[in-house]
Amino acid sequence: MTAPATRERLATTSATTWGELHQQDPDAHGGWYWQRLLMSPRLLAARNRYRRYSKGARIRLGALALLGIGFGAGVFTFFYRALNYFLSVPEFGPVLTYKLLGMVFVTFFSILLFSNIVTSLSTFFLARELERVVAAPVPVRNLFYARFAETVIDSSWMMLLFAAPAFLAYGIVHDTGPAFYLTTIATLPPFLLIPAALGVTITTTLVNVFPARRTKDILLLLAVFSIALLYTLFRMVRPERLVNPEGFADFTAFLTAMQTPEYTFLPSTWATEILFPMLGLRDGNPLFYYAVLLSTAAVAVIGCEAVVTRSFAAGWTKAQEGRQTRKALRPLWERLVGVFTAPFSSATKVLVEKEIKTFFRDTSQWSQLILLGALVVVYVYNFSVLPINGSPLVTFYVKNVIAFVNLALAAFVTASVAARFVYPSVSLEGRAFWAIKTAPVSARQIWWSKFWSGLVPLLILGEILIVATNSYLQVMPFMHWLAAVTLLVMLFPIVALALAVGIAYPNFEAENAAKIASGAGGLVYMLLCMSFIAAVVMLEAWPVYVMFSSQFSEAPLSISGWIGVALSFGSVAGLTVSVFLISVRRGIAALENLEV
Amino acid sequence: MIELIELTKRYANTLAVDELSLSVPSGEIFGFLGPNGAGKTTTIRMMMGLLQPTSGRVLLGGADLATDPLTAKAMCGFVPDRPHVYDKLTGAEYLDFAAQLYSLPDGVRHSRRDRFLQLFDLAAWGDELVEGYSHGMKQRLVMASALMHEPQLLIVDEPTVGMDPRGARLLKRIFRETAGRGATVFMSTHSLEVAEELCDRVGIILHGKLIALGTVEELRAQANHTTDSSLEAVFLRLTGGEEDEPAHEALFA
Repeated sequence: MTAPATRERLATTSATTWGELHQQDPDAHGGWYWQRLLMSPRLLAARNRYRRYSKGARIRLGALALLGIGFGAGVFTFFYRALNYFLSVPEFGPVLTYKLLGMVFVTFFSILLFSNIVTSLSTFFLARELERVVAAPVPVRNLFYARFAETVIDSSWMMLLFAAPAFLAYGIVHDTGPAFYLTTIATLPPFLLIPAALGVTITTTLVNVFPARRTKDILLLLAVFSIALLYTLFRMVRPERLVNPEGFADFTAFLTAMQTPEYTFLPSTWATEILFPMLGLRDGNPLFYYAVLLSTAAVAVIGCEAVVTRSFAAGWTKAQEGRQTRKALRPLWERLVGVFTAPFSSATKVLVEKEIKTFFRDTSQWSQLILLGALVVVYVYNFSVLPINGSPLVTFYVKNVIAFVNLALAAFVTASVAARFVYPSVSLEGRAFWAIKTAPVSARQIWWSKFWSGLVPLLILGEILIVATNSYLQVMPFMHWLAAVTLLVMLFPIVALALAVGIAYPNFEAENAAKIASGAGGLVYMLLCMSFIAAVVMLEAWPVYVMFSSQFSEAPLSISGWIGVALSFGSVAGLTVSVFLISVRRGIAALENLEV
Repeated sequence: MIELIELTKRYANTLAVDELSLSVPSGEIFGFLGPNGAGKTTTIRMMMGLLQPTSGRVLLGGADLATDPLTAKAMCGFVPDRPHVYDKLTGAEYLDFAAQLYSLPDGVRHSRRDRFLQLFDLAAWGDELVEGYSHGMKQRLVMASALMHEPQLLIVDEPTVGMDPRGARLLKRIFRETAGRGATVFMSTHSLEVAEELCDRVGIILHGKLIALGTVEELRAQANHTTDSSLEAVFLRLTGGEEDEPAHEALFA
């Protein structure tokens, strides 16, 4: 066929096809069509990923599922034991059961709200694939529902995973029958939709209000906002009332106050009021609260849709405009970085400097420090107001037992911080990692640069936590030193493990560190880390108990007692060194073989 | 300078590179051609240690990449097909960083950084964060970073994609000068004009196998083409691309 003939034919077929193809108005498609279509890339990607898993990867997935089940079993055990204990406490039992349920829902609600705000920033405005969809003739309303569904799933799945065993424990302990479970299943969807709708609305509004000041300001605001929210909700629960009934005029007033919802406008209160009467501990009006929850969820989603459909285009445009050039600032502290990195070898120094510079220029990273600061303040504050008074014996034991719990908690807090900052550090190199991988820099040097960059700030944080809180507790000097040294030693494997697991689960495509940390690898890291912390604390608990008893009874420790103590501390040292060395070796080997 | 010995890369169900053996001497500009998905980028990424080969060896300047990676890497400058760089560094900082990875002395590093920013038209942007750079600017920055330590071997993946004519002309000049000082340039490209104009020898890869190797004239002979035919015609004949032409007819049918 000649060229003009081909052109003519193309023109003819194109014209006909164009007419036929584009007769249909995009709005004519039903909502379900768009929902299915817009979510299909993600579903297909998940399916393809699963299909392409090698046998080894499937085994790892299976192991991961088993770990998840194990962790779920842990959550279940905790709730099962706590609730059974509450049942055995006369008068107070139902109060504690009610408070625990309230705390579960308040915690879920606050985490879900924050999680939805952060997730929706990505799903609605920053995700790379959005350009393609926004450029296509997709009605905004349908885009909203597809993205909203993604936001809900991304923000809530992990929460559901932990909630299920907790609710199961409630059902079993109180022998509720199927009605409780069915009610729980019916309660959770509207309960999840409310923070999602609020989160998306807040994000959309922020993106519209702060156009020129880039995502940085939005994230900063989110961080500050979450601090306020966290603190407020924490105070709303008033946990100290659980241990201080004397503060009330009389016992009856205390019980009445404890059983009455304090903040009736919170969806977490409604959810508690729906489920609590189902446990058979007191009457209530679950139908009324369910109607309130359901109608609020519907109004929230519809309101959110209205906000998004009206302001998405403007917000989207402004989010694009936000990606403008920014002159790099060189504050004094950046020069101080040189002093900080002076002891390192030249290659490690270069890498550490780069780590620090990129961290403090990435708002999504450093803004988290504000949140962290608030958490530390709340954490230490709680110890300052702990009502530990009573007989000298009780006070002595309580203080030192709490000091032990405090050690585990401080280790857990630093491990969580490591999960957020150290675990993603290799993934955050992103596709730019080729520059380091192709340079004559060994995997060992890369590893140690990341290790020291993570360890030093965590050591400072951890030691501040443990020393400040133990000072408030006025624990014995021995316990003071033991906790401080144990945490210091534990932080080496905690950081090394974070790096090693982070390398084993690289995610070079993620848009932010939070997304990397919330992946499967993050979960594996937290589970491993918590097992390690629990093992160390348990191994140290016995010798400390023996030594305290001996000191308190003024009976010297026998030789076998000393041997037992030495064995326990030896086991802690052995475990710590093993976890550290294994993490370092496996991490460096994985880094060497990491494909970019 | 480059020895690839039966280099193979297998992904789950795909053989991306199939026992590829190739030798490139010092001072040569070597063009690595092939259609999309033929295995060019996979080969290059294995040569730079970014991917682990399933089997086979890579020797760069006599150093085995598997057993002596630091010596091998110290000789190379690499420019990937997509210019991913650290967005939160400035252009000048990025060049500094790249040079320090190769342990360049401070004085040399600073003077080269300033000279390269000038040469690659980035001087006005040197103190701006890379996140504000255009695609072409990032490409020029990556090229500059690859040259900072004066590599003996420059490995470049698709150098001219997204470059404006001025940038492309600068690249050609750099490649010639690099080869002129005795270094080797190994580049994969889709631009047959660039390959024809610059390369001393060309290798064509298809389905992971090297199907043709030699000067442009030698390839013409292999493809049974007359001496005046272009490299494009030779390329299409060797890779089976001529058969695709009727496909245009099917378009929109």
